Amino acid sequence: MSTITLSAGGAAVKPRKANKKKAQPFPYILLLPTLIILVVMVGYPVVSLIITSFQHYGREQVFGAPATFAGLENYQTVLTDPSFWMMLLRSFLFMIAAVVATMLLGTLLALLMMRLNKGFRLLVTVGLLLAWAMPALASVAVWGWLFDTSYGIINYLLTQITGSDWTGHSWLANPISFFLVLGLVIVWQGAPFVAFTLYAGLTQIPGEVLEASQMDGATPVRRFFLIMMPYVRSIFTVLIVLSIIWDIRVFAQVVALQSIGGIAEQTSTFGVWVFMKGTAGGNYGVSAAAALIMVVVMLVISFYYVRQTLREDNN
Amino acid sequence: MKGKIAAVALVAASALTLAGCGGNPGGQTSGGSTDSSAPAASAALRVWLVGTDTPQEARDYLKTTFEKENAGSTLTIEEQSWTGLVDKYMTALSGSNSPDVVEIGNTQVPAFTAAGAFLDLTDKYEELGGDDMLKGFVDAGSDKGKFYAAPYYSGARVVTYSTDIVSGDVPTTWDAYLTAAKAAKTDTVSGMYLTGKDWRDMMTFVWVNGAEIATQDSSGKWTAGFNTPEGIKGLQQAADTYNAASLFPKDAVEGDQQIPFCEGKIAYLPAPSWVAGMISAPEDAKTPGCASTFGAKEKLHQFAAPGLTAGTYAPVLAGGSNIAVPAKAKNTDLAYKAMQIMLSDGYQKILAEAGMVPALTSQAQFMADNENSKAAQAAASAAISTPAAEKWADVEASQILEDSFSKLVSGTADAATIAKELDDKINATLNG
Repeated sequence: MSTITLSAGGAAVKPRKANKKKAQPFPYILLLPTLIILVVMVGYPVVSLIITSFQHYGREQVFGAPATFAGLENYQTVLTDPSFWMMLLRSFLFMIAAVVATMLLGTLLALLMMRLNKGFRLLVTVGLLLAWAMPALASVAVWGWLFDTSYGIINYLLTQITGSDWTGHSWLANPISFFLVLGLVIVWQGAPFVAFTLYAGLTQIPGEVLEASQMDGATPVRRFFLIMMPYVRSIFTVLIVLSIIWDIRVFAQVVALQSIGGIAEQTSTFGVWVFMKGTAGGNYGVSAAAALIMVVVMLVISFYYVRQTLREDNN
Repeated sequence: MKGKIAAVALVAASALTLAGCGGNPGGQTSGGSTDSSAPAASAALRVWLVGTDTPQEARDYLKTTFEKENAGSTLTIEEQSWTGLVDKYMTALSGSNSPDVVEIGNTQVPAFTAAGAFLDLTDKYEELGGDDMLKGFVDAGSDKGKFYAAPYYSGARVVTYSTDIVSGDVPTTWDAYLTAAKAAKTDTVSGMYLTGKDWRDMMTFVWVNGAEIATQDSSGKWTAGFNTPEGIKGLQQAADTYNAASLFPKDAVEGDQQIPFCEGKIAYLPAPSWVAGMISAPEDAKTPGCASTFGAKEKLHQFAAPGLTAGTYAPVLAGGSNIAVPAKAKNTDLAYKAMQIMLSDGYQKILAEAGMVPALTSQAQFMADNENSKAAQAAASAAISTPAAEKWADVEASQILEDSFSKLVSGTADAATIAKELDDKINATLNG
């Protein structure tokens, strides 16, 4: 994927060479260390992934037996599996909901930070940093405890507040509420990054522009959409694309939550499905094929936005 | 310009983040490497034990005995978790940083012997104990006539209760047991400990009614047996019993049962025989029990789950572990020596006293002559193992059973639908 993305980026950058500079070897030498690292860390695994996706590759092959060529069989297996399409739909719906919620919350937090005085801003910053810096598995463990069926504080508080009996209510058994809890974990950890980045962007907007618009009678809502948004639009685009990528390949949180409760078959997302077929199920060929399909899907998403961004830029 | 930088940053960031999701079937090594070129004579041996089943006393015995017999070498026990063990071992045993001795569940071992993950121990078979080793475990640890994994211990599921919660006689038939469990349920106490994903205990309902998980015909083809009148009846009975007797989550796996037991929330607890030892541990132990309340020695009792007719026992899951030396282990000679210690009388005696059935038949004499070990032996006499299929580990890893039983007790699908679904998936997996 990454190599392809890079070449996509490279292709998109090409038109800029219209500025024309003489070809010099020095810039390429500077690029070399990065390229070597990318080839070793990204290129090699991707190539081996592509090869595996065309092979019969099971547990015996992991321990050294030679793999046989499978042609397109693995791809056929993936694409004709109804559970694959269900999972794809599920992953996309979750991604959309999570990205919208993350961006919304992150933007509101950024606007809040603009208004706060120094002391409170520091408090919010530290709080956001802690949420952001918390390891994914640790945060799932904490949220899992909050929503625990037998001992969770959420069930306890709901029983106290609503008066109806929530004792023993399982939040993860129902796929909808499973994704609600998962969404909380993801948004809670994703929003701080959006908030910080947007806040940094918003502080760069010249104060006199906002002041002028205010004097002309623009309401806060109009000021936000007509003045602030255009200034931070490219940042916004990058944040959306990054969130899309992060949320569609969410893995550890789902697996950890599944080990607490819920029905794996109805709650697996892209990465989890690939993992279940491969590492857990011992069918690495099929899982490599599914992983490559995932890569292509994400390539399509990011390519559109990268092109869009560059086009706006050139205008 | 800002936009351009942003775009470049995006490409770079996505490249890096996406790299993380690419599968790595080649099984690259991860984590720091240790003794890469240490001579066989002295080395740092790594032994992987799973869960808290092995008592601390046995761990200490293994370490001190090994280090005394092999001066200059050290032995470290690294504890693994039962959850996700197959995945973990696939990666760890195929890499260059493989541990030297591993414990593995008896139902998981065939996937690894068939894949060639373990060192061939065929010529050591007699030395390790020969036909004195538990036969079912030797079969599980063998493939195509070669012997790879030795028995470690066996255990059967018994029913534990505390006289603080349960009064009256021990039920003598399966139906009486279910009736007693349902009657013992209150608003806070579960009559029987069952969670929705506890397939190991749920299977007893299916087996006691006469169905099998899967059987193999002469051509080697597996046929699952849930979608039969007996299978559907068993599933239905499991769902009814769960709903009438258990307050535990519909979507939880079988977990640390000693915790709710010590809170007085369980009447009848079906669990491996050594769980009784964890319950009767002192309150300030490393894994705390409740020796002064529900788990007091004179209050804690065990019996083997009764069968359909009085005097018989219900088939329970034959649990236990095998031990093996990974094919990629570096210190195979020393690993084999550690394995010998683990099968020795001194070591197995400690396991036997903790309520486990020892690896060698002749070591059964070490089992304590108490209610717990009698119940364990009675239950073991009727125990059934999972299908001896190479792909069985895939059934466990894909969580088919957990998902199905969870849906069954939630009532989102009826027993007949679940039975058909189970059969389709198990047939596809075992014959795939």
